[in-house]
Amino acid sequence: MSAILQTRNLITNFYTYEGVVKALNNVSITVRRGETFGLVGESGCGKSVTVRSIMRVISAPGKIEGGQVLFFRDEAKPDEAEDLLQKNEADMQALRGDTISMIFQEPNAALNPVMTVGEQVAESFLFHRTASLARDAVARMQDEPGAYGLSGRLFKSFLQKAAGQDPRLPMLKIADRLPLLRRWRKPLLAEALKRSVKIIGQLGIANPEEIIGRYPHQLSGGMKQRIVIAIALACQPDLLIADEATSNLDVTIQAQILDLLHQLKKTTIQSILLITHDLGVVAETCDRVGVMYAGTVCEVAPVRALFEKPLHPYSAALLNSVPKLHQKGELAAIEGSVPNLVTPPTGCRFHPRCDKALEICLQKNPELKRMAQDHFVACHLY
Amino acid sequence: MAAYIIRRLFFLLFVLFGVSVLIFGLMMTFSPERRAAAYITSPQQAKDIPRIVEQLGLDDPVYLQYLRWVGRVAQGNLGWSLVASSTVWDAFWRYFPTTLELNLFAAPLVILVGIWLGTLAGVNRDTWLDHATRIFAIVGWSLPTFLFALVLLMVFYGYFNIFSPGIISDSVQLWLADHPDQFTRYTGMYTIDGLLNGNLRVFADALAHLVLPVITQVIVVVALLMRVMRSGMIEEMGKDYVITARAKGADFRTIYHKHARKNALIPVITVAGQLVALSMEGSIAVEVIFNRQGMGWWLAGSATQLDMPVLMSVCLFIGVVFVVANLIIDLMYAAIDPRIRLE
Ligand SMILES: Nc1ncnc2c1ncn2[C@@H]1O[C@H](COP(=O)(O)OP(=O)(O)OP(=O)(O)O)[C@@H](O)[C@H]1O
Ligand code: SF4
Ligand SMILES: [Mg+2]
Repeated sequence: MSAILQTRNLITNFYTYEGVVKALNNVSITVRRGETFGLVGESGCGKSVTVRSIMRVISAPGKIEGGQVLFFRDEAKPDEAEDLLQKNEADMQALRGDTISMIFQEPNAALNPVMTVGEQVAESFLFHRTASLARDAVARMQDEPGAYGLSGRLFKSFLQKAAGQDPRLPMLKIADRLPLLRRWRKPLLAEALKRSVKIIGQLGIANPEEIIGRYPHQLSGGMKQRIVIAIALACQPDLLIADEATSNLDVTIQAQILDLLHQLKKTTIQSILLITHDLGVVAETCDRVGVMYAGTVCEVAPVRALFEKPLHPYSAALLNSVPKLHQKGELAAIEGSVPNLVTPPTGCRFHPRCDKALEICLQKNPELKRMAQDHFVACHLY
Repeated sequence: MAAYIIRRLFFLLFVLFGVSVLIFGLMMTFSPERRAAAYITSPQQAKDIPRIVEQLGLDDPVYLQYLRWVGRVAQGNLGWSLVASSTVWDAFWRYFPTTLELNLFAAPLVILVGIWLGTLAGVNRDTWLDHATRIFAIVGWSLPTFLFALVLLMVFYGYFNIFSPGIISDSVQLWLADHPDQFTRYTGMYTIDGLLNGNLRVFADALAHLVLPVITQVIVVVALLMRVMRSGMIEEMGKDYVITARAKGADFRTIYHKHARKNALIPVITVAGQLVALSMEGSIAVEVIFNRQGMGWWLAGSATQLDMPVLMSVCLFIGVVFVVANLIIDLMYAAIDPRIRLE
């Protein structure tokens, strides 16, 4: 299987008052076309920073300072990669939400509290589907000239231009910045809302027409998360990044959302990068897993291989800390605490907590080594 | 909602009662003779003081004096203003337009400049622009209004002689006195009346006299708004929904103006009451220093001369303005934040 996304030695730092937080230290992972790749690790190990660096939505004081994020857009040309870190902001904006989308940890915070959920879903279409929305609007006005009231009548020529080849015409861009002319987009919003109703309905929300007029605080956590998913799926992305999409929901809703993602994986989305700290979720949904510790990748393996024979001492400890069926006695907690990333431990960042640590572990950072077909580990034991 | 508004207006009665009792109580800390002294104009009349005390009942029990005053106000009689030498009611309509005019020009500027500069500073955090607006805000915030106004006067009146104090030039004033039939005082505000009468000379002259007062008023009030707007924007830009918006491909313009700003306005509305208070304070200093005969000028004059009917009436007026302003602020809250319901 060919890769769809690959990070190479990604380095991201946060310049805080306490010092430089070295959040990512040479993170290299690969997501393949058609797979669900899991990224696991304790809280604060850098999972969210990794995916936000991929999308380049790290905000100040964070900075991506090294590495590559390779995106393989065309399945037929597996050797042609674009480095997302080299792209300009406008190209990234065109790509975000259209080709790569993201859903978030905390549905309560992920939605804008003062905008209706309909408007928020509609934005996905408005940002990426201007031409096709305009075509719909023009077609509708042919059947029904008064369809959008005054703004439709006044700005018909704008809509026709936008429906043509290039919706980024300078004329339209200027109109967007001017008070009254800006209203040429009204018919587009109406069309985008129609599409929003459709996608929200497909995601299992009853009476979507009514829901789109609501504000986030009027919806339950599960519904909000479905809205967040609708935003991400609106433009049928090639890669969906789910950053702990279920961790803040109660168990039944969690199961429903996971089920939904599973369904979508079969029908609409090709590849998923799934972040979680729930190994149960990984076992059920992922094909391969990457284990992260303190900003580094320790092990990458197919799910079965990792669960049967974890190679890295941290992976082993992590698996040990998960309750298993028929298990008796206490859970084995991992000794020690997550290191401070302003002054991370030298050598292998796990060494202060590792009971197998060697002399060299204090000095040298272990490289990711290939141990078996598809099984990689970064540890001096091997 | 209608019920809410009615309840708030009902609440106004209590506010007015509280305010009047408070001011009345403060007045009563002066001896009857001191209060009577406000009615004489020369030392020779000092012998009349006991008679005035007697006549006006200034040494009656406090509650009786208060009730007497309430009775008169209930009949629409606010009393006689010594400072204005007319009834308080007439004086009010003479002075109020001047203050309204000042604030009609200053308030939109405060809102536009405050929100615009605050947003700019917030999204360009730690750049020269942010530092520049910060210095501007610190100066506006910490420099006493009167000092700032005096400096402006010294520079633009004393040195360059471009703008002068007052409401209107003497020459225009004389012309107006000579041609009462050619100029109708529709609103009492010279700029607006100038336009309504199609008299550009009056309009331009009145506008020129407004420049320095408006600048002073804006600088004094805008600092607070700007800083709250800036920190609101900074806080909102760090929220998760901004990342959601970026992740769906929003450009920065959309994020600033559509997503973050509406949320950042919520804390701004919280300080709107303070802004109103600042504007009132500012109006007093501005009117006194620039010699504009408005409410603030009148209030300051009345306070130094212990003109009791005026002080009581103006305080009641301020109470009304505050309650109405807070009502409007609550309505704005509800309009901007869907999570708030007025009940
Ligand atoms: N804005 C920020 N400023 C400073 N440090 C940050 C910032 N964002 C993240 N970090 C640091 O980056 C590290 C990784 O954070 P990240 O959010 O990626 O963790 P995570 O693996 O997603 O954890 P969780 O499971 O809790 O979501 C943490 O040590 C955190 O302190
Ligand atoms: S490299 Fe050393 S310290 Fe790190 S996990 Fe392996 S054995 Fe432990
Ligand atoms: Mg996270």
